[in-house]
Amino acid sequence: MSSARDRILASIRSGLPHAELPGATEARPVLPPAPAAAAPNDLSALFEAALTALTGTVHHAATPAAVAHAVASIAASCGAGTYLAWDEAEIGCPGLFEALTARGLRRVTYDLPFDAGGRDAGVRALEDVGLGITGADAGLADGGALVLASGPGRGRLASLLPPVHVAILSASKLIPSLPALLAARPDLVGRGSNFVAIAGPSRTADIEMTLTHGVHGPKHVHVILTA
Amino acid sequence: MPAPSRVQLFATCLVDRFFPHVGHATVRVLERAGVDVHVPDGLTCCGQPAFNGGFTADAAAMARHTIDVLSRSGDPVVVPSGSCADMIVNHYPELFATDPEYAEKARELASRTFELSQFLVDVLGITDTGARTGSQLAYHASCHGLRGLGVIDAPLQLLRSAAGERCAELPDGRTCCGFGGLFAIKMPHISSAMLQSKLDAIQASGAEAVVATDVSCLMHMGGGLRRRTKAVRMLHIAEVLAGPDHD
Amino acid sequence: MTEHPQPAAFHTRVDSALADAALHAALSLTTGRLASGRASAFASLPGADGIRDAARAIRAHTVSRLDHYLTEFTAAAELRGCRVHWAETAADAARTVVGIARASGVSLAVKSKSMLSEEIALNHALDEAGIRVVETDLGEFVVQIAGDRPSHIIAPIVHRSRADVARLFKNTLGAGDDEVASIPAMTAFARKTLRSEFLRAGMGISGVNLAVAESGSLCLVTNEGNGRLTTTLPRVHVALLGLERLVPTAADLGVILQLLARSATGQAMPVYTNVITGPRRKSAGPEPGEPDGPDEVHVVIVDNGRSKLLGSELAEILYCVRCGACLNVCPVYREIGGHAYGGVYPGPVGSVVMPGLEGLERWHDLPNASTLCGACRDVCPVRIDLPHLLLKLRAQEAREGIGPWWLRLGIRVFTAAALRPRLYRVLGNLAGRLSAGLTRNGWFTWMPGHFGRWTESRDFPAPAAKSFTDTWRGARERGKERS
Repeated sequence: MSSARDRILASIRSGLPHAELPGATEARPVLPPAPAAAAPNDLSALFEAALTALTGTVHHAATPAAVAHAVASIAASCGAGTYLAWDEAEIGCPGLFEALTARGLRRVTYDLPFDAGGRDAGVRALEDVGLGITGADAGLADGGALVLASGPGRGRLASLLPPVHVAILSASKLIPSLPALLAARPDLVGRGSNFVAIAGPSRTADIEMTLTHGVHGPKHVHVILTA
Repeated sequence: MPAPSRVQLFATCLVDRFFPHVGHATVRVLERAGVDVHVPDGLTCCGQPAFNGGFTADAAAMARHTIDVLSRSGDPVVVPSGSCADMIVNHYPELFATDPEYAEKARELASRTFELSQFLVDVLGITDTGARTGSQLAYHASCHGLRGLGVIDAPLQLLRSAAGERCAELPDGRTCCGFGGLFAIKMPHISSAMLQSKLDAIQASGAEAVVATDVSCLMHMGGGLRRRTKAVRMLHIAEVLAGPDHD
Repeated sequence: MTEHPQPAAFHTRVDSALADAALHAALSLTTGRLASGRASAFASLPGADGIRDAARAIRAHTVSRLDHYLTEFTAAAELRGCRVHWAETAADAARTVVGIARASGVSLAVKSKSMLSEEIALNHALDEAGIRVVETDLGEFVVQIAGDRPSHIIAPIVHRSRADVARLFKNTLGAGDDEVASIPAMTAFARKTLRSEFLRAGMGISGVNLAVAESGSLCLVTNEGNGRLTTTLPRVHVALLGLERLVPTAADLGVILQLLARSATGQAMPVYTNVITGPRRKSAGPEPGEPDGPDEVHVVIVDNGRSKLLGSELAEILYCVRCGACLNVCPVYREIGGHAYGGVYPGPVGSVVMPGLEGLERWHDLPNASTLCGACRDVCPVRIDLPHLLLKLRAQEAREGIGPWWLRLGIRVFTAAALRPRLYRVLGNLAGRLSAGLTRNGWFTWMPGHFGRWTESRDFPAPAAKSFTDTWRGARERGKERS
């Protein structure tokens, strides 16, 4: 007895000989090279201009202490007392959490239980956290975008749930564009269960084509660029 | 290809019967450009309306007839219509995909068929026919010529020689006027709505005349304009390029 | 799809859309912005033509080997812990999703925008099963609380004003005056309202923009972030995948992603490019697992007529990546809007997809609601020759005798005359002579019968008593006689 899968595949196979598919080739098409960056020697400047145009904010910090200071300032300006974060080792800024604790900020950790009730409670406990702090796997210069791959110690919610997201990104991880990244690092895509490129704050223009920010994702995105 | 000394004129069914003065203007433009014009006997319709309506057998019959007439001579064919030229160049070969004899004839004919402005600029290398006009012109780019044949700059170059700064593309000049052949009677209300949008743009442009490469667009826009104002004329590009005394 | 109106109502829907001045203004604004956004984005993309060529080649190649890539996708997705389901019909697909919800004890589901879910009437099926489903895309949320349907693939509430939305929020959701005082206020209200749904939902339902065969991944793009929340917070994620929406590898995805947002809205990138590869990783030995993400990911591969469409002369439409660019430049869509088309997919793409999936008997008006101007083909990121496909549908209609009899008769009569040049000429001269007394300044202001459809809104030129050819020949003969 055939399954739906068998029947669908059979239907496809019997249709293909009659299909009019202009431009189809037997071999996989050769892909164009990823576009070169407008200013390859200054990816930082490109990144900053692109993200700023999307109403994100770029900060510069040369040391872990400066990073901590910048994060604390952002927390103070948005009135956040608690934060969600990647593990410190994943963020790549040693001493960050200690410095934030010293400034009165508290990290809310979580590991969502597998049972529905526990998960429900676990999620609700995160509802009012005001800030999310992550590192980044890469920055895309042309789009002002952050690339985050999920993994142990690298939860998705830190860059998604709170209204403010701060990412600490080393300028050495800047890459010209998304196609350049996907061509060079296809392994990043399936390394964890989630790969996301984030270009600035959440937005919509659904009502009368009028742009507003902070619909579901964070309303404010800060990137602290380090060396 | 070296500049030909003689061409065949396919006036098209609309020009032949409804706008004969456009046919005469076309002849005058070509003769002034040093080309002898012959109008072969027996031309009727290229078959485009039937083709667009899905009546491919009827279209193929008319296409075969047209090919036969235009293949009595190997001279290039000039058509004062972007859509009819597009039909011959891009759709005739497709119509005869399963008819090897006419597929070859269609390909051969397609290779020597041109819309008027395309012929003047791309084949003869002429962007100035010598005609001059003092009128304020707005140019509407007829869709099939524009997107089917790729006739983009040629009409404007020719019109600018004739009218200088007084020629401009109509705002939203590349938006379809809403004629669409049988569409105008199959979907009359949508056609009329598109027409009204186009007429609004024409009136807002302040032009004294709207110029296009296709009388189909002109009869639709002109027919609608007559109900709104006497202030704007419709002109086929041949009329502008022929100068004032072309009849 | 029981909720869709009957095709006989097409002209009625068109007329009511044409009479709606507010709709007209909204369509002008939205399509104008989106189309010019697209134009700017492409003008500033180096190598845009080459990228479009590659995108077309990728989609064409993938569709030409669809069985292979679907098989590869399924194996890779299952290896990563996804459950892959196959649904032959819309009803099967809806039933599958309901089944998953029941099996997981789900009473509330959140949904990010999915045209495929509209196609299978999923919300209706979930309602019937007593499962509450909440749309989270702002436009779709408004559509849902209004009991309405989206009218554009990308911008679902083109047809609604801010006043409409304010009224809906107040009357249906109890929003206060200050909460609907401005668009940012309404957006904040929607965020707050929907946030509580996200936090409580047992299931998230999404579409898939493109699936990657090699890694078994699902790519979902949004600007709002509801796609991420829908596919992260709830314990169960169900993704609806049209069976043609695949690419072979991540590098292929990268090529097409360069064009998707640019074509849809003019943005270089959407805010969130989300790629999902299986449920959250569980701990393995000493290595801990991921702290969040769904524990179950189900992919429902939906056929619903696509495999049949693949075996036809319309197969090229399967290259479509649902960007909506064709809608924004279509002069017909700009006049009548999405609802007038009557189906889930409007505009040029809808005019091929609806009859392609469901047949011409039901959708015969759509291929005729076009002047074949070609603006759509000009902007399609994968260069689908939409006018060519519309012509194929029209040819099928003519073969099957669908369409007005008087038009068919008129074409037959005209063709018979056009193949007989002498008769053609005689009849033309006769018409010209007869018209001479009936016209005002050489134009008819009224014509009888179906010809009256023309003169409803424009004059029609009178045929000349002597054709151009006759006059030319006469002058030529006289010239010869003289010389």
